[in-house]
Amino acid sequence: MSAAQDRVDQLLGGARRSLREIVTPEGVALHVELAEHGERAAAFLIDLTIWLGVAFFSYLVVFAVLVETRAFGVVVTLVLFIGFFVRNLYFIYFELAWQGSTPGKRINRLRVIDRAGGPLTAGAVIARNLTREVEVFLPLGVILAAGAGGVANFVLGVWLLLLTAMPLFNRDRMRGGDFIAGTIVIALPKRLLLADLAEQNARYVFTNTQLAAYGAFELQVLEELLRKPRTFETAQALDGVCDRICRKIGWTGSVPKARVVEFLTEFYTAERAYLEREQLYGRARADKNAKPG
Amino acid sequence: MSLAGTNEGRSHDLGEPLPAIVLRSSEFRRGREQGWRDLEALVAKAEKRGIGALDVSELQRLPQLYRAALSSLSVARSIALDRNLLQYLDNLSLRAFLMVYGPRQSLLEGARDFLTRGFPAAVRAAKVEILLAFLAILAGTLAGFFLTIGDEAWLAALIPDSLGGGRGAHSTRQELLDDEIFAPWPGFARSFVVFANFLFQHNTIIGIMTFGLGIAAGAPTVLLLAYQGLVFGAFIGLHYDRGLTLDFLGWVSIHGVTEFGAIILCGAGGLVVAKSILFPGRFSRVENLAINGQTAARLAVGAVAMFFVAGLLEGGLRQLVANTEGRLAISALTMIAWGCYFSFAGRGARA
Repeated sequence: MSAAQDRVDQLLGGARRSLREIVTPEGVALHVELAEHGERAAAFLIDLTIWLGVAFFSYLVVFAVLVETRAFGVVVTLVLFIGFFVRNLYFIYFELAWQGSTPGKRINRLRVIDRAGGPLTAGAVIARNLTREVEVFLPLGVILAAGAGGVANFVLGVWLLLLTAMPLFNRDRMRGGDFIAGTIVIALPKRLLLADLAEQNARYVFTNTQLAAYGAFELQVLEELLRKPRTFETAQALDGVCDRICRKIGWTGSVPKARVVEFLTEFYTAERAYLEREQLYGRARADKNAKPG
Repeated sequence: MSLAGTNEGRSHDLGEPLPAIVLRSSEFRRGREQGWRDLEALVAKAEKRGIGALDVSELQRLPQLYRAALSSLSVARSIALDRNLLQYLDNLSLRAFLMVYGPRQSLLEGARDFLTRGFPAAVRAAKVEILLAFLAILAGTLAGFFLTIGDEAWLAALIPDSLGGGRGAHSTRQELLDDEIFAPWPGFARSFVVFANFLFQHNTIIGIMTFGLGIAAGAPTVLLLAYQGLVFGAFIGLHYDRGLTLDFLGWVSIHGVTEFGAIILCGAGGLVVAKSILFPGRFSRVENLAINGQTAARLAVGAVAMFFVAGLLEGGLRQLVANTEGRLAISALTMIAWGCYFSFAGRGARA
């Protein structure tokens, strides 16, 4: 897996998620966006709430049935029992049935995937969720039972909290269970296919020398700008970009304000056609600083 | 493409039509877009209502469209510079990939597969670690036994109050016989409490901790195992001094065989994790952990299942069978049963 951030997003201050690469069994590399800590915490809180709700409901039912007949101890242990079952089965069931997501993850658009790009196996799902007992619920128990005190308990608590905080200490934000199961948690947004920006009827003509001024990076920044909703700020940014392009390529004519978008769209089309042709001839150019040819 | 007349002030107006600009990426997109849209609709449907919502013909088309999208992505990466198109195809392929290569087992199938194949195979794969864990417990047991028969003051130090249950250096032979070894069956409700407490207050937590602490290079795992042995050895010592060794062993082994088996397996799981961190071989530590981690997790999951069995044996069967010979026979049976299960189950099936 290689670590990278999208250069265009970085420049334009868009989504700041870190990217990783997985290779599918067909041998094609796909980019995945790592989930943020906050998203994962939110997803977990939702799942925790659901679990507590179910446990509480079962508590009420068991209590209503047993309170008149049997000892209180039976009720408590039965509830503990159900709680243990529900929380373990809950995560494992949903991650198997919903392709690696739970209700909380689904609301936050998160997925568990195999780190290497293989299929997500049942074994991996079970492994990463069983470890959760040690990572989350055991420290919770130790904290809740903190009244018992004792140096050993304190040390144990600190150690377990460090284990819980493991996603903060590694690049891929894996918790212990992810390490053991070989998984990562990714964000999976839905991207839409927008209309092609390339213009059909050209009014402006650019020479190859002019088009050789830029590379793919600048082309894609321009694309992002042109795709932005047309607000006042975008219009100003486009004006600035238009001025700079004209200066860079030595455009002698004037571009009136009303025609800036039209001019830039055509420049984009011509530039893309040029760069794609060059790329086809094996002369791909990453950005304006790369050597031409 | 023709040159329209609105190009005021242009410096490059040649006054004659230029050869049309051919955007290969646009042509490419026009030809394939319908397939991508179809795939997107299928994936969206399956994401929303589960993969079961797709009918047979849709299920057949999904992998075909997925591979077509992957090939489109590869082509687009080499010929297109349209950022939106590239990101869309990347995203679409990923979503379809997760559908096509998602978990294929339901919870029940997974459980059945695990019990008939995965668990015994994991046990067979971790023989060395199991031996190590067993030796750690054995060493603890021997130490606890000899310390206790040397000086019973060790009992107080070795056995925490929560486990002692009132037993200690002051216990007499008769007390142990009446209150512990041949205590009457307390009825179903009390047995269930014994069973559940057994699971949640002590052993499962210890077991899962021995496993989880394997991440700390295995030393805490070995220590915890040895400590379990110490407690056990101290109890044996206590009964040995009162001439109850065999009765105690009968009392404890009816569930103890299963329970110690489970603790050993948890410990072995922890040691598998520790080994893959300490000796990664030709992989990186993280890769190696992912390769061996699932064996380790299988051991731990199986051990939790064994704890359940042990809990049932302790809560129910032990007090119902109130003679030492019967108990020893049952524990021998459990030992043989587990031995056969781990040795033979799932051997013929594919790994």
